[in-house]
Amino acid sequence: MARGISGITIPQLISVNTHHRNCCINSLSCFATNLTTSSCSSSFSLYNDKWKGRRYENIVCKAASVVGAEETTQSKDDIIVGQSRLLKVPISNIRNFSIIAHIDHGKSTLADKLLQVTGTVEKREMKEQFLDNMDLERERGITIKLQAARMRYVNEKQPYCLNLIDTPGHVDFSYEVSRSLAACEGALLVVDASQGVEAQTLANVYLALENNLEIIIVLNKIDLPGAEPDRVSQEIEEVGSSLQLIGLDCSEAIYCSAKEGIGINEILDAIVKKVPPPPDTADNPLRALIFDSYYDPYRGVIVYFRVIDGTIRKGDRIYFMASGKDYYADEIGVLSPNQLQVDELYAGEVGYLSASIRSVADARVGDTITQYGRKAVQSLPGYKEATPMVFCGLFAELRDALEKLQLNDAALKFEPETSSAMGFGFRCGFLGLLHMEIVQFHKGDLVTANYTLPVKTRSTDFVASKLPTISSSRLFKSLERLEREYNLNLITTAPSVVYQVNCVNGDTVECSNPSALPEPGRRKSIEEPYVKMVGDFFDQLKSRSKGYASMEYSFVGYRESDLVKLDIQINGDRVDPLATIVHKDKAYAVGRALTQKLKELIPRQMFKVPIQATIGAKVIASEALSAIRKDVLSKCYGGDITRKKKLLKKQAEGKKRMKAIGKVDVPQEAFMAVLKLEKEVL
Amino acid sequence: MLKLNFKPIFATIPKKLKISTLPLSVSSSLQSVRENVSNNLITSINPLSPPTSAYIHLPFCRKRCHYCDFPIVALGSMNQFEDDPRIINYVQLICREIKATKPISTTNPPLETLFFGGGTPSLVPPKLVSSIIQVLKENFGVCSNAEISIEMDPGTFDEMKMRELLELGVNRVSLGVQAFQQELLKKCGRAHGLEEVHDAIGIVKSSGLENWSLDLISSLPHQTLEMWEESLELAVKASPTHVSVYDLQVEQGTKFGNLYTPGEFPLPSETQSAEFYKMASKTLSKAGYEHYEISSYCKKGYMCKHNVTYWQNRAFYGFGLGSASYLGGMRFSRPKKMKEYMGYVQDLEDGLVLNYQQNIHVDTKDLAMDVVMLSLRTSVGLHLKSFGESFGSSLVSSLCKTFQPHVASGHVVPLDVKQISLNADEFNSILSDEGKIEDVVAYIRLSDPEGFLLSNELISSAFGVIAP
Repeated sequence: MARGISGITIPQLISVNTHHRNCCINSLSCFATNLTTSSCSSSFSLYNDKWKGRRYENIVCKAASVVGAEETTQSKDDIIVGQSRLLKVPISNIRNFSIIAHIDHGKSTLADKLLQVTGTVEKREMKEQFLDNMDLERERGITIKLQAARMRYVNEKQPYCLNLIDTPGHVDFSYEVSRSLAACEGALLVVDASQGVEAQTLANVYLALENNLEIIIVLNKIDLPGAEPDRVSQEIEEVGSSLQLIGLDCSEAIYCSAKEGIGINEILDAIVKKVPPPPDTADNPLRALIFDSYYDPYRGVIVYFRVIDGTIRKGDRIYFMASGKDYYADEIGVLSPNQLQVDELYAGEVGYLSASIRSVADARVGDTITQYGRKAVQSLPGYKEATPMVFCGLFAELRDALEKLQLNDAALKFEPETSSAMGFGFRCGFLGLLHMEIVQFHKGDLVTANYTLPVKTRSTDFVASKLPTISSSRLFKSLERLEREYNLNLITTAPSVVYQVNCVNGDTVECSNPSALPEPGRRKSIEEPYVKMVGDFFDQLKSRSKGYASMEYSFVGYRESDLVKLDIQINGDRVDPLATIVHKDKAYAVGRALTQKLKELIPRQMFKVPIQATIGAKVIASEALSAIRKDVLSKCYGGDITRKKKLLKKQAEGKKRMKAIGKVDVPQEAFMAVLKLEKEVL
Repeated sequence: MLKLNFKPIFATIPKKLKISTLPLSVSSSLQSVRENVSNNLITSINPLSPPTSAYIHLPFCRKRCHYCDFPIVALGSMNQFEDDPRIINYVQLICREIKATKPISTTNPPLETLFFGGGTPSLVPPKLVSSIIQVLKENFGVCSNAEISIEMDPGTFDEMKMRELLELGVNRVSLGVQAFQQELLKKCGRAHGLEEVHDAIGIVKSSGLENWSLDLISSLPHQTLEMWEESLELAVKASPTHVSVYDLQVEQGTKFGNLYTPGEFPLPSETQSAEFYKMASKTLSKAGYEHYEISSYCKKGYMCKHNVTYWQNRAFYGFGLGSASYLGGMRFSRPKKMKEYMGYVQDLEDGLVLNYQQNIHVDTKDLAMDVVMLSLRTSVGLHLKSFGESFGSSLVSSLCKTFQPHVASGHVVPLDVKQISLNADEFNSILSDEGKIEDVVAYIRLSDPEGFLLSNELISSAFGVIAP
């Protein structure tokens, strides 16, 4: 599979992995609880060895948070501590917030600290004891992915219920982040005081503002010698004002060191004071927003949700408005951060439910939960539809796996695909590109570059390397500042792309090379085909900008275009998955590049193999793969055949991974060639 | 601890594996072996039968050749090794290993082939070789007409040593000439020059030994087609009964591995290398040698019986540093480092390790792969009937189907019961009737040289059928 999906760079997959891991460890821990601690600890310590290195610190922190799970069984004192968080508070005393930050700006450290300070996880001495005695639980700690945590905090003698809703670590999941943010009223914007504002910081601010969140700025890591809180706060203000963002007033920024515990109480107080309470809509029909979910092999789908309106009780017959499925909520509870059962949750609260949901498609993230008996009129708005960034075809019986994937990651799009050569499979990421016979998607919404943005020096090398073919200095300059623009506008030369430029005077010009674009003054907007997004564009953008660049796009619709179908024939057999639709003017270039690439990727066979690109019956590019003349003819000295056999087995395995096209064995990589072409031709 | 390291290679297995015993086998009629051996080279697939062959590894060399990655001990450039304690101690060690190895079956048939390989076994004083043979005789018994081969390198022996070896029972010599060009010998890091090569050939021939092999390596760095032609011609002129032609393999960790990339100058290109192979096949066949295995040629009746054991997937003992054994269906390689090997022998004596286990389970698929990969190296090929009896007729038929296009392209040759090749059309029509395949097609073999040249491709396709 790893081979088959090499075109996917989506961290989605990573997040899925962790989910799977979670599931597997969950199941392990289920067993573990039924066994004696001593018999288990050895097997778990083995497992622990795999978790060395950088993650270790995290694990310990999160492990600490699991103590809550033991509260119910460990001691009576603990039960009281745990249950105090279950106590209801008035809606006006609920605060739902999330923490948004650039990677490594200290989000998880801050989250852990908040949990500690509010007593949601054990105090230091308890933690030591816990670490000493409970290897097993520590292992379980790994399983707890902090999705949400309910904290109890007393401010001016008023008990508050603070719900921290975690956002996915990677901001490229703008969809996932937006779902989490939509369940909140406020957000802590954590900025590393030494590193300052980063691309993802801004992206997060946009998202938070889109969701009307109250933003509390936290300058973290002020204990570090390199911290420059003044410069950073100035930077935030500058950027903020230049973007005309309202509410990013750094005069109230909280200086904090999550590691040292500096400023934590200030943060908690600010949450209570600044973040508005949820509206009291407990009497309305139930509407709850699913912001995350995962598949538990024992309990079915576990749904994490925020109650927006109404009340949900244990045993309620609930209805998922998008999927149209209904279930009985067997178990509801809060996340603190482990799952603690409660009987009801009302508007403003955050919790989880388990309803023996078997089919992963029934409770999709982003769906609205309502009462079966008293349905809400309208499902909840505001979830941003995910826009696929990378694409590839997966050929294998993967429907179940993809559906599970989709449960945890609604940004994933896939469609079944059948190909004579590859069998059944799925094209992932494509939003209907399959039926692009003659019509092709056009990308639109091209914001012309914002000339008022300050140019950052660190953006220049990225632009220079990304767009080596653009000769127009004016265009170059205008692109230089895109790095800071979230809604960026990148013009690149993809081999198959012809741009459509709408001019101020109403003319429409087609342009196959960005250097031939009309003067910026004449341009009203530029539209480019969606097909450019296919492949590794996003991957390239990310790697060449060292992760700084972010990207968004939207569709403007379908446009008729002068397109041809480019077929690939290998040894005279047409290979459907390699066929591509290109603009007529680009067909030769693409054909040549593709045949050359395939020649590199297809291993030589026992006979000569012609590789041709054709339009209809006309061959426009041709390469030939020479035959293998000789294998490695090792002797089996002293009768030792084991090494030779191993090599032959490996060779046989390699063949299995390939797809037979007629008599030719074609590796999976070759099928990715179309998608990877951009990289080669740029 | 050690026990863990030496666990059986085959761990699991269906008990009811059916082992067919073939009516014809090399060992069945010892008296007429030489006459019949060609016809008898068919795949016996009974690795569980008692071993009658032993490989003995004598790892000493004067220096390591640049292409070599075998477990060897470099002794240095002195001339006399008569009393070298390293050799004496090692021979003692190997004798201990032999003594500590219990005969695998109660019938304990005497050994029919011994093969002293290395290293450079001719560096070991004959009296020490004799002591090893003596221990083998005591422990397992050795047939009076057993084939006893020894590898010898030019420059490591004289008439006297040759005579001594023959006197103690050695009756086959494998002479490591490798090349007939002084500059190539030097580039390979061989410890001898061209003069020693000619001397050595003279010594062997004048000793009256009839059965000897001349070993050559093709595709050496800087080797040209002309040089290779010359080597082959001189090899033919020396008129050995056997010629081994090994295609150079550039192994990781060797000097060549560090210096060269296969297919790139100064190594010959793949095409050139294939030409070398074809030229060897053509030249030696023309000179009356039979190409009976991928890298082996012999005059009629002079196959290396010891090596035939390997191609027939029969059991064999292995003794000495890094050597492999195949006992009771279990393949096992001894440690390649001297210290570890010493420990292994000690453990063997103490009963802490076993180099074979009785009634171990042999994985059928693995066994089928062994049979296919070994038999397809030979000119006789894979005997379909016995293969079908052991592994099922459906496997035979799917194997044939996989090879169908290769029969058409001339890389694979089906043979009928009279060993006459069938053409692609005949083969295709037979395949349509599955029940008939094994009756009509007796053998499947790789063609010489085209099929042999692509043996990895072809054998790995077969592997794909055996373990889909």
